Amino acid sequence: MSTSASPKSCDVKVGDELPPFELGLTSTMIVAGAIASRDFMPAHHDPDFAKGQGAPDIFMNILTTNGYVARFVTDWAGPEAMLKNIKIRLGAPAVPGKPLRFTGQVASKEDDGKECVLELTVRAANDLGDHATGTVTLTLPRS
Amino acid sequence: MTAVERDEVRARVDKYVGRPMGPPSVAPDPVNVPMIRHWVVALDDRNPIYLDEQAAAATRHGGLVAPPAMLQTWGMPSPKIEGIAERGGSPVDITNDNVVRALDKEGFTGTLATNSELEFVRYLRPGDQLRISNELESISNRKTTGLGQGYFVTWITTYRDQDGELVGRQLFRIFKFDPSTIDLSKLKGAS
Repeated sequence: MSTSASPKSCDVKVGDELPPFELGLTSTMIVAGAIASRDFMPAHHDPDFAKGQGAPDIFMNILTTNGYVARFVTDWAGPEAMLKNIKIRLGAPAVPGKPLRFTGQVASKEDDGKECVLELTVRAANDLGDHATGTVTLTLPRS
Repeated sequence: MTAVERDEVRARVDKYVGRPMGPPSVAPDPVNVPMIRHWVVALDDRNPIYLDEQAAAATRHGGLVAPPAMLQTWGMPSPKIEGIAERGGSPVDITNDNVVRALDKEGFTGTLATNSELEFVRYLRPGDQLRISNELESISNRKTTGLGQGYFVTWITTYRDQDGELVGRQLFRIFKFDPSTIDLSKLKGAS
């Protein structure tokens, strides 16, 4: 969808924004992610079960949320990127029919001469609020 | 509850802090390309390092690697599908004594995941066989939130490879709450 050119190795600045990404979230995507991550919790595939727990519909499992956060970051950073961590706080549920919008920014950059370490702030939000907010740390080779 | 009032529930669950949350486990399958492909297709992740051997070999990864965010997936137990809804979504019968069950019995039956922190020590490759252990890191004092009263429970999952080397960690925090204490006037629709 909205991927742009990868950063040329360490060629990024604090404050740079990642190309925003909007995921038109469907029931199929939620179920596909849940099963691919071996999460058979009924709240992620059975609407009646999810509603019985007070949720508006089935909702995305955390493993899939982490997967989309990682994809959002590497769609921008490219195949040389090596993720060090993904730290997220969970909020509003990601439910079918509510597009999930991913945004991110370079928060810090350290360069040790061989590679650079970037910390990104990331946010995935829908019209219920912030689904996930947090940081991703990754390294990129210097040349 | 006043500050000086003793929280008997918190005192009763304190014994779990710093202890394993069950016996260590071995991942049901080694890291493997079919499960990676399933994940990559499900999430439409086009990063070539996961499935394109030539492209992966041309990067500093030097060959195919698993998506790092799959770390938790490798340790997911093979579920017993029949009766999963009746078990509240638990993939397997939980028989060991642990803090989640203890708080359920105290009436704090609600569960909301609040934080996940994945740490990757190295990228996994097809063939890696993971060993997984969980340790309860902390239980907060009783807190009042929009979901009512409860406790933040935090555990750390540690992933080691076939040689016993640390490959990753996950910190996971949930809020275990008593649904009868929800202040409905503060609920805004989001779970």
